[in-house]
Amino acid sequence: MRDLVGQYLSKSISRRGFLDNMKATGITVAAAQGVLSSLNASAQVTKSVESSAPPVVKTFQGTGGACFAEQLMACGVKYIFGNSASEDAQFYEALVDRPQLNYILTPHEGPGAAMAAGYIKASQTPTIVMQAGAVGLMNAMGQVFNAYKEQTPLVVYSYRTDQSKRAGRDGFEEIANQEQVLQPLTKYTWMARGSSMIAETTRHAFKSAWTPPFGPSYMTWHSDYTQERTRTEIIQQSHFDTRMRVRPNPTEIEAAAKLLVDAKMPIMIVGDEIYKARAVGKAVKLAEMLGMPVTQMRQIWANFPEAHPLWVGNAPSGTLSSITWPKQYDLAINIGNKMQHNGLAPIVPHSVKFIDMRIDYQNMGKVMTTDVPLVGDVALGLDDLIAAVEQLLNDRIRAEAAMRAIEVRKYTEQARLLLKGIVNNPEWNNSPLIADRVTWEVAQFADPDAIIVHEAGSVAMHSFDFNPVGGRELFFYYGGHLGSGVGTSAGVKLARPDQQVICLVGDGSFLFGPHALWNMARLELPVITIVYNNHAYAGPHTRTIANVPSGRMVETGHYMGSYLGNPDMNMASIANGFGVQAEVVRDPLQLKKALAKAKAQTLEGKPYLIDVQVARRGIGWTDTPWIPPVKGRPMKQKKA
Amino acid sequence: MPMNTFFNLRVLGIVLSSFLFCFCVRAQTSVATQAAIDSQSGEIQQGKSLLQSKCAQCHTDSIWRDQRQDARAWEATLYRMMGRGAVWSGSDIHAMASYLATDFGPQSPRVFTPQ
Repeated sequence: MRDLVGQYLSKSISRRGFLDNMKATGITVAAAQGVLSSLNASAQVTKSVESSAPPVVKTFQGTGGACFAEQLMACGVKYIFGNSASEDAQFYEALVDRPQLNYILTPHEGPGAAMAAGYIKASQTPTIVMQAGAVGLMNAMGQVFNAYKEQTPLVVYSYRTDQSKRAGRDGFEEIANQEQVLQPLTKYTWMARGSSMIAETTRHAFKSAWTPPFGPSYMTWHSDYTQERTRTEIIQQSHFDTRMRVRPNPTEIEAAAKLLVDAKMPIMIVGDEIYKARAVGKAVKLAEMLGMPVTQMRQIWANFPEAHPLWVGNAPSGTLSSITWPKQYDLAINIGNKMQHNGLAPIVPHSVKFIDMRIDYQNMGKVMTTDVPLVGDVALGLDDLIAAVEQLLNDRIRAEAAMRAIEVRKYTEQARLLLKGIVNNPEWNNSPLIADRVTWEVAQFADPDAIIVHEAGSVAMHSFDFNPVGGRELFFYYGGHLGSGVGTSAGVKLARPDQQVICLVGDGSFLFGPHALWNMARLELPVITIVYNNHAYAGPHTRTIANVPSGRMVETGHYMGSYLGNPDMNMASIANGFGVQAEVVRDPLQLKKALAKAKAQTLEGKPYLIDVQVARRGIGWTDTPWIPPVKGRPMKQKKA
Repeated sequence: MPMNTFFNLRVLGIVLSSFLFCFCVRAQTSVATQAAIDSQSGEIQQGKSLLQSKCAQCHTDSIWRDQRQDARAWEATLYRMMGRGAVWSGSDIHAMASYLATDFGPQSPRVFTPQ
C-alpha cells in the first residue's frame, strides 16, 4: 500500500489505477476512496506550502546591511551572535523588520564565538558570529582557533572600520589586510570589494564552512559598504551549498573488507565524523559483525556507546599502545577520528595494518602509514564497507568473530567492574573534595540524556557511560583555547532546550570566559555550571614538572605559574554578578544538596552555578604555595 | 644430696628451661617476622614490577619521581589514574603504593638535578 501511495503522489499512476490496485489488494471500494480523498487533501497542503516557499533566486535592492540580512535568512540562519558594533548600524536597522533573524548580544567576543560554535555543534545548523572591526575580532580569534581545530563550520564576520576610500592611513582601529589575520585559522577568508558583493561573499563563506571537512570561514568589508544602497541576487542555501557527500572508492572498500575479515584481532578507532554524519549505529554494526574492540582518541564527542561490550575505553595517552587491552592487534581501522599526534610515535604503529576512513583527507597519511585510504563521508563509507564485509562472511569468519566478541566482552566486563572501585580511594570523603568524587557525584545526578560540556583540563571524565544514541552526550574542549566551556554550554542549551546541560569547568578555564553566564540568565537557558575550583592551574603544573623533573622548581617549591589563590577567587560571587544564582560547597554532602537545588532552579528555567572547592593533588603542592614576591605597596615612594 | 646442691641444680634447670623457652619463642618470632618481611618484600617487588609495566603505558618516571608521600597518599594518587583509563584492581594499587612508599616515601632522599 505504501508503494501505491508513493506512486499516486508522484503521479506515476492515475486515480483510477490507484483505486484498481487498492481493490486488488483486497481493500473495499469505500475504504480505497477514503484513502484517496485524504491523499488529495495532503497533496493540496503540500502544494500550498511549496507555492509559499521563497524563490530560489531573487533580486533584492537595499542597503548593504539589508542585503547581508536577506542572504543570511536564505542561508538558513536563525540566530546571530554578536557584540555591539556601531558601523553595522544599517544591518541592525534591517534586523528590526526581520524577526526571523534573532540577534543575541554577547558581552565578550570570545565566549560569544564559543556560544555560536556550541549552537552549531549541538544543532548542526548554520549561524554566524560577528564583532566590531579588528578590535572585536582579536577577542574572538581564540574561539575561531578552536573551531578550526575542531572542524566546526563557524562563519565569522567583522567590518573594517576604515572606509573604502580612506583606507590605508593607519586610521582608528585599522590594520592592514585585516582578513589575512584569520587566514591560517580558516578554510576561506575574503574581503568583499563592493556592496553588491556582500551577498555573494556571504554565500561563499557559508558554502566553504559547510563543505566537508567542515571548518570556519571569515568575511569582511569596508563599513561604508554596509551603509550603501545596492542591488544584488539573494540565493537559497539549497542551491549554492550542496553539502556534498563523497562516497569512498569502491575498489578501496573491497580491499578494506578483505583486510578486516582476514585480521586476527582488528581494532576500531572512532571519531567525530561519526557523530556529525549521525552514523553511530553503523559503526556499532560493523564492530558487531566482526567482534571488533572499539576505542577512541581525543575528540569532541563520545562516538560509541561506552556501555557496549565491545567498547574497550578511550586510549589514555592518545596512542593505541596506551590502551590496556588488546595488545596483540594486527589491524586498525579509523572511522572519522582526526588522529591528532602530540608525541613522536605514530598513534597506530607502522607494524600494524591501517585502514583510514574519513573525509578529512588532508590529515591522512601525515604520520601513520596507511594500507587502505577511504576518503569519504563516513555514513556512506560504513554502508559500503558493511555490505562488502557481508559479502565475504562465511561460517569460519563468523565463528572467529563470535569468539573474538566473547574475548572482548570478558575484558570489558572486568574493566567496568574494576572502575567501580574508584570509590575506594582513601581520600573519597575528604573535604575539600577530590575531583573524582565531584565527577562521580555529577554522574550519579545527571539525567539519562544529559549533555556534559567538559572544559576541566585536569579532571578525568568517568562514570557517565556516554552514549551518543539517545543517552548522555559529551562535548569536550578539543581545540584547547580555554574559555570555551561556559559559552559552549549556553549555545548547546539554546539548540537543545529539552535536554539537561551540565558544564564542567576548571577554575582556570572558567576565568577565561565566564561572560555567557549573563546570556544564560538573560535568555533563560538553565545550564548547571560546576566549577572544579582548586585555585590552581593543576594540569600545567603537573606537566611543567614532568618537563623539568628534579629541577630547581621542585627543589625550592617555586612554581611560577601554578597557583591561583591568595586571594582565593569566589566563582559564586562572579556568577551572582552576571545574574546567576550560585553557591560554594566544600564537602560531598554539601555538593549533593547543591545539585538538588540546581535541579530545582533549572526546572524553573534558571541557570545555577556550583563552585566546588577541590583539593590540589600532585607534586609540590602545600596549603600555602609560594607566589612570586611582587608587591606594589613597598614600591611606593610618595608619602601619603 | 646436700640441700644447696639440690637448690643449685633446680636453679640451673629453671635457668636452662627459661633460656630454651626464650630461644624457642625468639626463634619462632624471628621466623614469623622473617615471613612478614619476605611477604612485604614480595609485595614491594610485585608493586615495582606492576608500576613498570602498567604506568609505563602512558608515563615516564618523571611524572612521579619527585613526589614524596606515604602509602595512603600514593594509593590516592593511583586511584586517580582509574578515571583516566587505568584498569587496576585494589590489590594492584596496594602493591604499587607499597613500593612507591618504600622508594618514594616521606623520608626517601631527594635528588635534584638543576638544569
